[in-house]
Amino acid sequence: MADQTRREFLKLGLAAAASAVTASAIEIPLFNNQNSSMQTKLDNANSQLNNANSQLSSANTQISNLKARVNTVVGFVSLSVTEQSLLEKIVETIIPTDTDPGAKEAGAIYFIDRALAGDYGQSANMFMDGPHVLPRIPASTTNTLSVNPTLSWANLPGNSSAPITYTGGSIGTPGVGAGITSSPRVGSGINYQYPLNFREFWRVGLVALQAYANSAYGGNFETLSSANQLLLLQDLWGNKPTSFSNILPSDFAYELTFMTWAGFLMDPIYGGNQNMVGWTFTGFNGVNFGNFYGEGQDQKALMVATAPTRLKPASLAQYQQQASGGT
Amino acid sequence: MPTTITEPAADVVILGVGYMSGVIAAELSIASLNGGKNYKVVAITKGPYWDYVNDFSTTKYDEWGVGLGRKYDSPLPLQSATIRNTPYQFALPVRRYTMPIQYHALGHGVGGAAQHYGGTMGRQGPWGYTQYSSTIARYGASFLDTVNPHSDLEDWPLTYAQYEPYYVEWEKAHGLCGDYNGSATNQPSDTGYPWMSQNYPLPPSPLTPVGQSFQTAAQALGYHPFPHVSALASQPYINQYGVPVNPCVYDGYCGGPCDYACETGAKANAAYRTIPAAMKSGNFTLVVNSFIFRLDTDPISGLVTAARYYDPQGNVHVQPGTVFFNGMWGYNMIRVMLLSGIGAPYVWNSSPASVTGSVGRGLTNGYLPYRGTNVSGTLPNNGGNAYPAGNGSGGSVDIYDLMDDNFDHSVSALAGDPPFIGGAEIGAGGYPGGGPGNITFAGGVSSASMGGTFKTTQKDKYLPTKTTLSSTPLAHDLPTTDNYIDLDPHYTDIYGDPLSRLTYDWTPNTYNGATHLVKKVKDIFTQMGAQNVTIGSTVAPGAAHNDWWGHHLRGGCRIGANQSTSVWNKWNQCWSPVSKPVFNIFGAGEITNTSGDNVPSGTHVAGPQSYRAAEGIKQYLALLTPGLLT
Ligand SMILES: Cc1cc2nc3c(=O)[nH]c(=O)nc-3n(C[C@H](O)[C@H](O)[C@H](O)COP(=O)(O)OP(=O)(O)OC[C@H]3O[C@@H](n4cnc5c(N)ncnc54)[C@H](O)[C@@H]3O)c2cc1C
Ligand code: SF4
Repeated sequence: MADQTRREFLKLGLAAAASAVTASAIEIPLFNNQNSSMQTKLDNANSQLNNANSQLSSANTQISNLKARVNTVVGFVSLSVTEQSLLEKIVETIIPTDTDPGAKEAGAIYFIDRALAGDYGQSANMFMDGPHVLPRIPASTTNTLSVNPTLSWANLPGNSSAPITYTGGSIGTPGVGAGITSSPRVGSGINYQYPLNFREFWRVGLVALQAYANSAYGGNFETLSSANQLLLLQDLWGNKPTSFSNILPSDFAYELTFMTWAGFLMDPIYGGNQNMVGWTFTGFNGVNFGNFYGEGQDQKALMVATAPTRLKPASLAQYQQQASGGT
Repeated sequence: MPTTITEPAADVVILGVGYMSGVIAAELSIASLNGGKNYKVVAITKGPYWDYVNDFSTTKYDEWGVGLGRKYDSPLPLQSATIRNTPYQFALPVRRYTMPIQYHALGHGVGGAAQHYGGTMGRQGPWGYTQYSSTIARYGASFLDTVNPHSDLEDWPLTYAQYEPYYVEWEKAHGLCGDYNGSATNQPSDTGYPWMSQNYPLPPSPLTPVGQSFQTAAQALGYHPFPHVSALASQPYINQYGVPVNPCVYDGYCGGPCDYACETGAKANAAYRTIPAAMKSGNFTLVVNSFIFRLDTDPISGLVTAARYYDPQGNVHVQPGTVFFNGMWGYNMIRVMLLSGIGAPYVWNSSPASVTGSVGRGLTNGYLPYRGTNVSGTLPNNGGNAYPAGNGSGGSVDIYDLMDDNFDHSVSALAGDPPFIGGAEIGAGGYPGGGPGNITFAGGVSSASMGGTFKTTQKDKYLPTKTTLSSTPLAHDLPTTDNYIDLDPHYTDIYGDPLSRLTYDWTPNTYNGATHLVKKVKDIFTQMGAQNVTIGSTVAPGAAHNDWWGHHLRGGCRIGANQSTSVWNKWNQCWSPVSKPVFNIFGAGEITNTSGDNVPSGTHVAGPQSYRAAEGIKQYLALLTPGLLT
């Protein structure tokens, strides 16, 4: 029942934002010199657009100001106090601060915090329906798997509602009924088969990680030496913990590592990469295409150059502000 | 309360509005192209109409939202697919987009997947269309059995020469850039494609220094290098429909593992090449944000009478029509046919002789980066601004000498390497553009991505003073009876209909081809002056690894000369099931590819099929007694 409600809700949101439109309602931006009636329409649309644009640019300035603030505001919208102190040390282990800024200076934890509070945490763009069958049944497993079909499939002509049995079948030799029952040998988006959204996954994962720190290293993660902190994270990648709240430790390690680097390198608009320290460190120019600060460079020339040119990075907010006529 | 609404009937109903459908829309709605006939054309697609000025120009650089969040792509909660390697396995659903992220980033809305593709193009040459008979003729039938167990390889119904005029139209419509004979670039080199009768409409993008170096080295080794063919306009252009095109601005954020939308419309796709022409015709209606879930059929004739779709409010619309064009991406094309009982569904059997049906048959995969052996090396004194400058597919140089049957594949000629047919387009020099996701995350993250030592490797990584060369030959994947698409018994889309289930594993041919080709690539890299050129280890058969499922799936709904094993005849008209063909539906797209193919794009094979289908539809509409075209 709950599932049904969620589906109804998603259906309306996802199939589309606007209602069906016909051709006449759509303007093709490039068509202006082709057709005079199109041109008139376009002119009208353009003058409307100009009005809208000037409103937009003042709104944009406000937004950019706000965003600039968000980027430097320290505060949490999702992580609990216990999670904060633990995760802080984890991200600092993954990208330590040395003579150059690390995850700490980039505010990677704020990126993760905001992601967990938003679409990422809600698993908003994920396919979350059951059944939830965990992959990676070891290749040696010979257990068969029996799963009921959905009603809609059973109702199609020629199908029945009897449970379907899967015997595996070993690699490259169809017909041999042993081997991997539910694990395609691809990482392509199928690894995550948990019935948890990512916010829950992180909640469970952080608790399990802390428990492992205590059982295997004799104390909370925050209290361990930095060498042991890194070792512990390596343990997760190697699936060393034998009990980890029913999640595969390496799946959690993947998220930790990936999201920390994302917090170091994604646009500051998302709360990490503060002051673009990640971009400065890697030599990435963000959305400075060669002339953002009046450097007089050209992208086409940069593309064919054999020596690199260091450009001061520009962020999306700066770019949008400039594009909308702000300064 | 959602209701059912019946729409006014149309002559031509287009299902899904992507790359292929755009061609049908333009060709069928413009009266002057139809001997003056005003056909009423209705095109229905899920997703919105994308307008690059408003939708992309200031937001596309949002790597987190676009690259990872895939905010312009098909939402997974709406619909996903399940995948497995063998018919004995439970197939798991794809639950999320991952890094490298493009696996399932299929198109959503007008323009389809090509709103955010790399724009790699080209042509499939003569051998591609006759690879079954050519292989048997040159190497014998038992050779094919050896290289491709459970082979389901077939020839196309027509030859390259017969398809060439459609290539020309396709290339003109989309303003493809390239130079097959050196005339556009004043290069001393010749023939990338000795079988092309005329050059591409636009010259190639400027070559990168790495591209130039590859060109010189390949030439020295006796190969025939030519600039990579791309669909990213190198110059302003106006196509045969009068639609003007902006040139590329080389701002990066274009191709690579992240594949971005284009802010200038330079990236060719239906929304900025063919659909504008259809819109101008006055005969064309575009219905967006609508999800097609069934095709209604007449109980007596079996023909399609209408398409059924959900609008965003959940109302069901019924769109009647005379003839239908199936332009839904990849497995969606198959899924809707299976859900509607159109054509003979493919039924797998462990014995190749006992398989039946054609809808879902002959799936191949054109993009296998992590399976094949990889070659890498470093080019000193050659660095540059790899990121974000550049565009998705221009600037590099390719050779065709190591693909198709352009070299001797007999066992004795392969110097002890395992046998295979086909090969790969080999090239170097493209800058994918794009941000950190394309570099730091290109292969995902691992236990090695943590700690101070790894961090040091990332310092100034995007400003390289030397170039890291890397090539993974994407060898030829052949159809077998064990790789196919059907309906999943366990998972459904948001409306409760079964998802597509993909059963796919590599064929030995792909693997063997890569094993041989990496040695040739190594020679070229060495000739370029690269240091530390090494062949990486292969992924062992059976090992877990990353693979790019989804965006280059081919076959599964094939064009053919054999009515019982193909869905579309030589006019791209449905002729399945044999007993009572549903002949008023036509199709084109990568998924209609008949045979294996060894260019990493794939759209280049599909594209001309849309022109062929347009001609088929016109002929069909002119028939006095509807039936199969001959
Ligand atoms: C990430 C990525 C990178 C690629 N890179 C390259 C490249 O470099 N070079 C190259 O040549 N090709 C590339 N391709 C492939 C190329 O984009 C496709 O071959 C091409 O777009 C296919 O055209 P199509 O018309 O068959 O489908 P599409 O263009 O995808 O159009 C299908 C349309 O059908 C709609 N649709 C699907 N299902 C339904 C439904 N149930 N109801 C209503 N509408 C529906 C979709 O929304 C879409 O609008 C790439 C593809 C991807 C995904
Ligand atoms: S690099 Fe060129 S083709 Fe690519 S997105 Fe930018 S303008 Fe478009």
